[in-house]
Amino acid sequence: MINIRWYKVLNDLAGNKTRTLLIVLSMAVGLFAVGVILSARSILSRGLAESFAAINPSTGVVRTGETFDEQFLASVRSMHDVQAADARRNLAARIEIAPDEWKNISIFVVPDYNEIQVNKIEPDTGAWPPPEREILIERAALQVIHAQVGDTVRIKLANDTIREMKISGTAYDPAQMPAQLDGTPYGYVSTETLDWLGESFGFNELYVIASNPEDEEWSRQVVNQVKDKAERIGLTIPMTMTAEPGQLPMDDILQAILALMGILGVLSLSLSVFLVVNTVSALLAQQKRQIGVMKAIGGSSLQLLGMYLVMVMAYGAFALLLAIPLGIYGARALSQSMAYYFNFDLASMDIPMQSIVLQGIVGLALPVIASLVPFISSLRISPAEAMSLYRTGKGRFGTNPVDRMISGRNLWFARDFPVRSFLLSLRNTFRSKGRLLLTLITLTLGSATFISVFSVRSSLTSTVDEMMKWFNFDVMITFGRSYRSEELQQLARQLPGVYETDTWQQLTVRRVRPDGSEGSMIYMFAPSPDSKLISSPGLAEGRWLLPSDQNAVVVSSALFIEEPDLKLGDNIVLKLYGDEFTFKIIGVSIGTSFGTIMYANYDYVSRITDRAGESDALMVSMSTHDPESVLSASSALERLYESNGLRVNTVDTMFVERAQAEAIFDTIVSLLLVMAVLMALVGGLGLMGTMSINVLERTREIGILRAIGAPNRGVAQVFIMEGIAIGLMSWLFGALLAVPMSGALNLAVGTSMMGTPLTYSYSVSGMLIWLVAVFFLSTLASYIPARNASRLTVREVLGYE
Amino acid sequence: MTSLKSDPKNKKKKLDKGHWISLKQVVKIYPSLAGPVTALKGIDLQIDRGDFAVIAGKSGSGKTTLINMISGLDGLSSGEIWIGEVALHQFDPESAAHWRGINIGVVFQTFDLLPTLTILQNVMLPMDFARRNNPPQQRERALQLLKQVDILEHAYKTPSALSGGQQQRAAIARAMANDPMLLLADEPTGSLDSSTADSILDIFETLTDQGTTVILVTHDRDVARRGSRVITLSDGEIVHPS
Repeated sequence: MINIRWYKVLNDLAGNKTRTLLIVLSMAVGLFAVGVILSARSILSRGLAESFAAINPSTGVVRTGETFDEQFLASVRSMHDVQAADARRNLAARIEIAPDEWKNISIFVVPDYNEIQVNKIEPDTGAWPPPEREILIERAALQVIHAQVGDTVRIKLANDTIREMKISGTAYDPAQMPAQLDGTPYGYVSTETLDWLGESFGFNELYVIASNPEDEEWSRQVVNQVKDKAERIGLTIPMTMTAEPGQLPMDDILQAILALMGILGVLSLSLSVFLVVNTVSALLAQQKRQIGVMKAIGGSSLQLLGMYLVMVMAYGAFALLLAIPLGIYGARALSQSMAYYFNFDLASMDIPMQSIVLQGIVGLALPVIASLVPFISSLRISPAEAMSLYRTGKGRFGTNPVDRMISGRNLWFARDFPVRSFLLSLRNTFRSKGRLLLTLITLTLGSATFISVFSVRSSLTSTVDEMMKWFNFDVMITFGRSYRSEELQQLARQLPGVYETDTWQQLTVRRVRPDGSEGSMIYMFAPSPDSKLISSPGLAEGRWLLPSDQNAVVVSSALFIEEPDLKLGDNIVLKLYGDEFTFKIIGVSIGTSFGTIMYANYDYVSRITDRAGESDALMVSMSTHDPESVLSASSALERLYESNGLRVNTVDTMFVERAQAEAIFDTIVSLLLVMAVLMALVGGLGLMGTMSINVLERTREIGILRAIGAPNRGVAQVFIMEGIAIGLMSWLFGALLAVPMSGALNLAVGTSMMGTPLTYSYSVSGMLIWLVAVFFLSTLASYIPARNASRLTVREVLGYE
Repeated sequence: MTSLKSDPKNKKKKLDKGHWISLKQVVKIYPSLAGPVTALKGIDLQIDRGDFAVIAGKSGSGKTTLINMISGLDGLSSGEIWIGEVALHQFDPESAAHWRGINIGVVFQTFDLLPTLTILQNVMLPMDFARRNNPPQQRERALQLLKQVDILEHAYKTPSALSGGQQQRAAIARAMANDPMLLLADEPTGSLDSSTADSILDIFETLTDQGTTVILVTHDRDVARRGSRVITLSDGEIVHPS
């Protein structure tokens, strides 16, 4: 037989089921959010890294201008500092994704798909390895080329040969950037198919793993050794690339997401902490008289403290029983959907122990700490005071200016209109200021997080707008080589509907670092600074190009992620067509790292590259900008140039480019929507729980109101108005707090993804959605317990403890 | 209430005559919005063992404050309270709670039984707090007390299932759980009808006969007449000591 005091604990838990349920739910929802976010963050960061490691990723890539054979590959493999090496043929081709609409595709040729040592490709669906004269498509690329397994597609090679090929299956190639993110689909064919396509076999891409793959600097040196070796046998090297150890192809997005999840994890943890503190304080306030009675019959502080600590720990334990399994389920579902976006199979979905432990600490230890403060304060007062104060409050209301202001004495409408119940609600709201403050902090945090999540989403759209706004044209065509600018423009103007044309130079450059190593490929656009079709892109700092500028460049902020030693005003050495030139960074534009971009003056670039008067890119502005006419014009332009013997490389329409840029953010936006729903759940249930506990606490007061003749509806009205008043205050404070909070989130997401904060945009729609939610939830949260209380008889209500 | 009288086990220690409870210049000042309010203005009072003392007076006269001082439920502003050799005014709240749990039983106007415990459990609780006996012994004693106050059949009900009179009987049984020397009752009949109130007062008389000192607070003259001694308070001062 256990001691009687523990029966009180048990009976309190079981006896007041509504209260227990509300407290447990309020705690559980916060713990659930913490569990989902922290576990998903850990699964993603660890699971993706493990999955990536499983493909034996290369630490460096060397691309050759000419093809090489197995013998050279074997010699690279035998190098002392090379742990492993593998080679492929990367064939640039185009694929028809709709009648007359072609898209660039990279086709890989591997001699033996089952013997790949580096950057392993796995079978996914259908045939494996690729059968002769058929093609496998990377699984994430099917949606980009609008095709299914079994379809036959037309492939156009650089030599203008067009072949029809059946898609006989899909492959899983995690080393490539997911097609929906960078827009490039990947295909895989056999060496026999390469013969059939009219190309002779040979490799042009070498994947290397250095002997110490964890050391990026060492990897770079090894790649340089391989590059030197290739150059010694007469190969030209247009590109070398070194990856950070274990860095995934879409690491920037992943880092942005992890940063976002980290911040939201901390926010939901704080929210959870306040929910716990709030509910425990409400519980102790409600039990104040009983504490007084127990002290009066000889209960010591230690005994009572033990009872209430066990009680709050029991609430925490129940909440954990709900939150841990649901959190595990939620974290796995979230990780799975993120992995799908990243085109990754998660090797492990193990929930990290730290996440469970943290939930346990928040769920068990925190309520104990939270209850210590109100408990100690309730211990300070004598049992006599505890018992006499309980019934309808301390009676200190009216002693400060806020109380006097809302007393209604000085409010003209209080005299002329029947607003007594409104004023009573308002005064009730402010009566217990400590509790109000605690409730408001909790709800404000929830409101601010919800609105901030919406604001980050809106800021992402604004950032895309900023990034795209400098394109004042509809179609951009790049050519296989430079042509006379005048010829390009004259041909375009023959097409009906063409409004304006302009040309520029577009080339790929690489940074040559002070140690002689080369950075990743950078797209350099060299327009005329006074072009009508290109205005200044959104600048994070510095200025746009002037006609008088010579070796000046405006670089996209993403460059600084890869080259952190650079900053505005620095000189940068760039390799253009094999020669090195020094440029000065005069401006920084906002941009993602997928295809880092820089801008230079046409006159200067065309002069140093001996291409004065020539261009390799054409911009066309149409008189109508709807997607259909732009698309048909782009196809017509491509045919026009090809029929005139000019080699078209790519045809891009700006609405597709925009969709592409948005697709990069889609993953984050989807995650943000999940987070917004989660925060709404936490904030909403927190709001409902807090309000309901507040009303339950005042059941006796409801009895008094009814005893003095207030009708049921009137009583409910007083409490609903009070709930709405608290809800609206939290919304207002939350909307204000969301201003800096969104800024912090924008900084975290933007910096990890683009090296600069996102273009700030406060989400008014998010604010309004939350206003409606707050109104609805406050009403519901106050109505249900107030209605229940008003249904009791006056005698029952007055006897309520 | 014959059951208490007929039980020989309830015959207590032989009464020592002489002042057992002694209050010397007890002052209690409460802070309030309008400034400090002196609820007790230097009370001097002696109560003997076995007395059924009634503290009477109008509302606001300081009756409840006085009983709270004697029970240690509230601290005094100045003065001394002695119960036997024990200087209650020197106790800190924690020691006061412990001492009270063993030596004083308290009964409130609104019964104040814990709503989530059964009547039996309510009576066992003070014994648990005082760490007296093991749970089965506590249960046996509680059942015995409930039998003495004639509500044994309600032992396993919760307070809300009982009438006001029955709840007050349970509250008296709870107050007697640790066999205290002193029972303090603050308006114990204030929420009851007159016939129920009479039966409750019978219990107090019986307890007094068995040696328990009872101090009862009331504003009701009829109730006051049942005491062996009436102390009348007015504006925080004793105006009629006996």
